[in-house]
Amino acid sequence: MIRNLNIILIFTSALMLAGVYALKFSIENTASIRTALIAEIDSQEGQLSLVKADEAVLSQPGHIEPIVRRHEMALAIAPVKQEQFGAFADLPMRPAKPNTAAMDSLFESLAAGVDPIDAILEVEGIE
Amino acid sequence: MAVTAEDFGPTISLDGARKVRGNLTQARIRWMVLALVMGFGLVGGRLVQLGMVVQDSTIEGQARDVITATRPPILDRNGLEMAVDIRVPSLFAEPRRIIDVEEAVRKLRTVLPELDEAWLRNRLTGDKGFVWVERELSPAIQEKVMRLGIPGIDFITESKRFYPGMTEASHILGSTNIDNQGISGIENHMDGENVALLQDLGLARGNALAPVELSVDMRVQHVMHEQLVDAMTRYQAIAAAGVMMDIHTGEIIALASLPDFDPNDPATALVKDSFNRITAGIFEPGSIFKTVTMAAALDSGSVTINDQFDARFGIRFGRFTIDDFHGKHRILSLPEVYKYSSNIGTIRVMQAMGKEAYRAFLTTMGFDIRVPFELPEMRLPTVPKEFSDVGAATASFGHGLSVSPLHMVTAYAAFVNGGNYIAPTLYKRDIAEAEALYRRVLKPETSAEIRYLMRLNALEGSGSQMNKEALGYRVGGKTGTAEKVVDGRYSSNKVTNFFGSAFPLDNPRYAMIIMVDEPKLENAQSGTTAGWNAGMVTGRIVQRVAPMLGIAPDFSEILDQNLVPSVLR
Repeated sequence: MIRNLNIILIFTSALMLAGVYALKFSIENTASIRTALIAEIDSQEGQLSLVKADEAVLSQPGHIEPIVRRHEMALAIAPVKQEQFGAFADLPMRPAKPNTAAMDSLFESLAAGVDPIDAILEVEGIE
Repeated sequence: MAVTAEDFGPTISLDGARKVRGNLTQARIRWMVLALVMGFGLVGGRLVQLGMVVQDSTIEGQARDVITATRPPILDRNGLEMAVDIRVPSLFAEPRRIIDVEEAVRKLRTVLPELDEAWLRNRLTGDKGFVWVERELSPAIQEKVMRLGIPGIDFITESKRFYPGMTEASHILGSTNIDNQGISGIENHMDGENVALLQDLGLARGNALAPVELSVDMRVQHVMHEQLVDAMTRYQAIAAAGVMMDIHTGEIIALASLPDFDPNDPATALVKDSFNRITAGIFEPGSIFKTVTMAAALDSGSVTINDQFDARFGIRFGRFTIDDFHGKHRILSLPEVYKYSSNIGTIRVMQAMGKEAYRAFLTTMGFDIRVPFELPEMRLPTVPKEFSDVGAATASFGHGLSVSPLHMVTAYAAFVNGGNYIAPTLYKRDIAEAEALYRRVLKPETSAEIRYLMRLNALEGSGSQMNKEALGYRVGGKTGTAEKVVDGRYSSNKVTNFFGSAFPLDNPRYAMIIMVDEPKLENAQSGTTAGWNAGMVTGRIVQRVAPMLGIAPDFSEILDQNLVPSVLR
């Protein structure tokens, strides 16, 4: 019985030893991967900060204006003038007087049983 | 001798020596097994315990974070970056690990020739563990140095402040030193608030800090800066400055002062004359101060908008006679006094009110103290504690006292917004927060009369040059041409010109002060008074920025007619 127990214990010990070593090495491996990843994230964050700073420079009004000025001629653009602003309220109303002659002819043809829309629908192929 | 069983106690059984040893061994093994089980149990229990511990990773790497400590990005009111952190490599050395100092010096100087040889040799010699060699380098230089393969020389990534707007908002932003601490402008103010504390605690890490949103609109800021640069060359001025404020919330929309500096290169901030003229410059405001006098007198009730004032003759104070510049020399109504910028008329307006009441009004408007504002660059205004008769007279048209343009824009904002004093701010503030801070300084009716006077001056008075530039945007304002004191006397050819304005006056939203210092004639047909330079700059700025601020031009005359007080219609 003791012998068996001993054998079992020896094997368990050996197995656990192997297990512990495997664990140790895998953890070391993971740690080095982690360090590498941290370094990579760090350098990418650094690059990102530079790219973001670049973007910020490019979107500054002070950066865009000279570009616009350079291409003013080619694109035929200029700063907006006061007269160019409009509002819906400024639009003239539709002419108050309806086109009575056209209306009369429409009603007459409808009364005669001819609907002008049919001709259009036929041309378009819609029934 | 006979031995009998009766003489002894119970029978003892004697085992053989072999069996005894066997039993003993078994007992020992049992104890050993128990001990081992307990030992393993202990180890196992400890492992479980360790597995349950949550690692506090926030403390890890704190030393590194002090160096890479970041500052929050600064955004304008539309979310455009005004200041960001970039990561840059910095070169350091560990002298105790350098094997051949001479070789290291020679090699390093092939990449960084600007380093002084003796200084570098001295730096790399010794038993120190860490010395900076050169901070904030470019990635390209880092690559070259790494290729040299010098032992004991390495890089560390540091945070550096970068201002993508370059010089445009320099006086607002200020700058930071090499350790990323704010030394001027809003950067300095932010440190006073909380950033320094966060950095000390090692909490200012990565991108964890929430961005700081300013009230500034970079588009407006750009236009103002550009127009001021233009004014500097157009009028050959020695300085120009401008500030625009939201009259309801007190938010500063734009603030620029020329000559300025590049915050990316803080050394340029030390150049003479590049101080912030809006907050740290105090000037005799000249005639733009007449608006203050008018507001004070109208609000006191001592004068009404219908009153007439005798401006036929200059006013004598002992040896001095104060007269008008291009005077009309007749009886003027109050709107005419303002429109023709009559010194005599303004003195009479002030005298109707009384100099003590006038002085008290200046205190109400905060002309005795610094404007409560975030920037650390502020100067105390100089306004006499008590006015003599002549002192009060000159003060009524803006001479004999010095205030900052920020004082003037705050006053103008209060005059046109219905009469509420609101301290300016560089941080975002909504109308509800602002209303809680309002302090009433004028009656709403007085504010309406001031709006009428300012618009009238733009239509018929000294602001007409400005109005031509910004037609349709209902701008109103007052010119101020303050003669400079040269060798103890007021000089007529060295002047500081101001234009104080507000727009759109039918429903005012913004107040602005523009200053042009010592302008010259633009051409033979123009003049050097404020309408020709500060006024024109104001007009050009409004013409550009009004559409950005959502103000559409409107040419209908009814808007101007509505501004006229009912008693004058």
